[in-house]
Amino acid sequence: MAGIGYAAAEPAVTGAPETAPAARPSRAGRRRSGVYYLMVAPALLLSGLVVVIPGVLTAVAAFTDWDGLGLRPNWIGWTNFRDIFTDPVFLQALKNNFIWMALFLTVPVAIGLVTALLLLKRGRSRTVYQVVFLIPYVLAPITNAILWLNIIYNPISGLVGYLRGHGWQVSAPLADVHTAIYAVAGVDVWHFWGFLTVVYLAALRQTPVDQVEAALVEGANGWQLFRYVYLPSIRSTLRLMSVMIVIFSFLAFDYVYLLTQGGPAHATEMLSTYAYTAAFSAFQFGKAAAVGLVMSGFGLLSSFVFVWLSRKES
Amino acid sequence: MGAPARLRLTVTLAVSMVLALAACGTVGAGSAGRQQLTLWFWGAPPAHQKTMGQVLVDGFNQSQDKYTLSVTYNNNVDTNVQVALAANKGPDVVYSSGPSFAATYAAGGKLADLDTYAEKYGWKSSVIGPMYDVGTVGGKLYSLPNSVNTYGVFYSKKVLQRLGVPVPTSFAQLVEVMDKAKAAGMYASVTGNKGWKPVNLDYASIFLNQDAGPGAVYDALVGKIPWTDPALQRAVAGSASFYQSGYLGGADYSNLNFDQSMQLLAAGRSPFFLGPTLEFQFATDYFNDTAGNTDDLGFAPFPNINTGLASPSYALGTTASLSINGNSPNKDGAAEVINYMMSERFFTVMTKSWPGYWGVPLKSLGGASANDFTGLSRLYVSALKDLTAAVGKGNYGLDIATFFPPATQTALTNIDTVWLGSATPQQFLQTVQAAYQGDKAKNLVPPIPEPSR
Repeated sequence: MAGIGYAAAEPAVTGAPETAPAARPSRAGRRRSGVYYLMVAPALLLSGLVVVIPGVLTAVAAFTDWDGLGLRPNWIGWTNFRDIFTDPVFLQALKNNFIWMALFLTVPVAIGLVTALLLLKRGRSRTVYQVVFLIPYVLAPITNAILWLNIIYNPISGLVGYLRGHGWQVSAPLADVHTAIYAVAGVDVWHFWGFLTVVYLAALRQTPVDQVEAALVEGANGWQLFRYVYLPSIRSTLRLMSVMIVIFSFLAFDYVYLLTQGGPAHATEMLSTYAYTAAFSAFQFGKAAAVGLVMSGFGLLSSFVFVWLSRKES
Repeated sequence: MGAPARLRLTVTLAVSMVLALAACGTVGAGSAGRQQLTLWFWGAPPAHQKTMGQVLVDGFNQSQDKYTLSVTYNNNVDTNVQVALAANKGPDVVYSSGPSFAATYAAGGKLADLDTYAEKYGWKSSVIGPMYDVGTVGGKLYSLPNSVNTYGVFYSKKVLQRLGVPVPTSFAQLVEVMDKAKAAGMYASVTGNKGWKPVNLDYASIFLNQDAGPGAVYDALVGKIPWTDPALQRAVAGSASFYQSGYLGGADYSNLNFDQSMQLLAAGRSPFFLGPTLEFQFATDYFNDTAGNTDDLGFAPFPNINTGLASPSYALGTTASLSINGNSPNKDGAAEVINYMMSERFFTVMTKSWPGYWGVPLKSLGGASANDFTGLSRLYVSALKDLTAAVGKGNYGLDIATFFPPATQTALTNIDTVWLGSATPQQFLQTVQAAYQGDKAKNLVPPIPEPSR
């Protein structure tokens, strides 16, 4: 779950008071609007260049047989989509992405939430814990992957090798089709949960103190305090993080590629590794673009759900 | 800091940056009027990079006064080259992981036609026939292999001695020794695809060529038989049985790479490493004079699985390909670099300190004397001589990573789905057939030399 580097922002709830019907803007107002547009223009231009144009080109490429090199690909309609949806490897990758999403919506969220609640009661040491928990998150994925490959999963010198050397018949988790995806996800969860802890802790600390104190005066126990005071307070943060987790679950690539490259026997194949192989091994960039569109589709879907839920609440 | 001081600091920084950039520009333009040539190479270990710097870069730059060659190293060289070529950029000398990559670049109009240079430097007559032909597309030459490569059995003499067995000369004997090793608590053999999934192709090559036979592989590659032919299905099933018996790294195939495998072989944890001759480059780290075990390592051709095939037979392949960027302003210089590498002298000097990767595909290598080399280089040269002799008689197989088109290769990489029970040989080969048809429709199947049957 790499690349999430955003603040746990609250959804925008305007709550603007009702106003009179809009009057025609004055000359000063129009000038001010012009300045605003001018200030936004660089960001819009940049977005257009690095997001919109490549996005549109990718969408077009998905309907061609582009090999990534020539400039005259053939238009082949829906062929790439038909090919991928009848390919068992693609379906396996899709299934793995859903497993990944389910794992990340539960395991690191639970660990992060519990840890944040425990840290809530700590004093100054809270800062030290947060820094320690964040270390795996700030390390580069290649560093984390090499650490785990050599220190834990290595059958010669790692933990696996050590246990075997002491008579334990331990199978190599990355080499087993039944455990590989959990072994890879384990590394990513290890790197990710500290980040969630910090975000949840920040949200928990925003809970109004008077509500907490009132609940305690009323005799609420720990669970009731969490269920009826803290949880409603951090609900929007939980929702936002969940949506981001869903989006990034369908973009998962780095740890999978670094640890298993999608193997063994596609046991850890993800949509991203499937697309990467199609593009850079088989020179099927059109097919890879089609997979990319499917991946984006899931991200967009979860974004819409998030916006819809936010509006519903506001 | 006051405003004048800030202004002075800003001006000083700006002038420094301009001077620094100007200095960079001077370096980039080359010194003494030499033209710059670039080569992007894979991220070889530091010792090998040092050898490359001394033998290729310094050697080439000192051999003439018109060009200055520089080499950069990166593990993602294939991806980098693809992206750069797509943008009509990239290095002058294009290094790629085999002729299938080069053929795709050529089909996309990204590589220079080498026919003129082939004539100028006599490559057609000096390079081993199948190795030359596989670099052609539509009758024109676009790439030359940097090295010949084949598959065999690396064995530890000490471990064989401990097990009380001779060096196996048949597949049955090989299996017998591996069973003994397993019974003794060792790995039957050590190998693995950790970090590089295309290692699967090595074992697919061995089984297709040495069970189904080079003739069947040739027929499938030229479209005479489908990939679902019973002989090919039997070979794939045989590879699955081999894997499931633990003969390929036991349960650790996905958890070992070549380097670790060689480490285990040197540590006496297995009698064999089964794999390509390019593994000699990693073997030197663990079998060397410092460790006093150079003579402990032996190499033998992989025995035929199908005893009806000509023996010894080698799956003929290459480690990489060299081409010239179609957009290079210095094509003549790039051709000089390639020609510099296509020489016995380059082979000899490189192989002395970096065996395994620079078996330049020259016919004259058959006449090289292994006695001119020491340590593992001698063993490597000896293996190359045997390979060259077998190729001369037509007793060679067709390595997947060399002779197969790109999508077909990618499909064959998934042979581990059969090994791990996710697909049957027939289901797997149906996907290979579909990929092959796609490659054929795009004219990406290279010219296939017909081996002896």
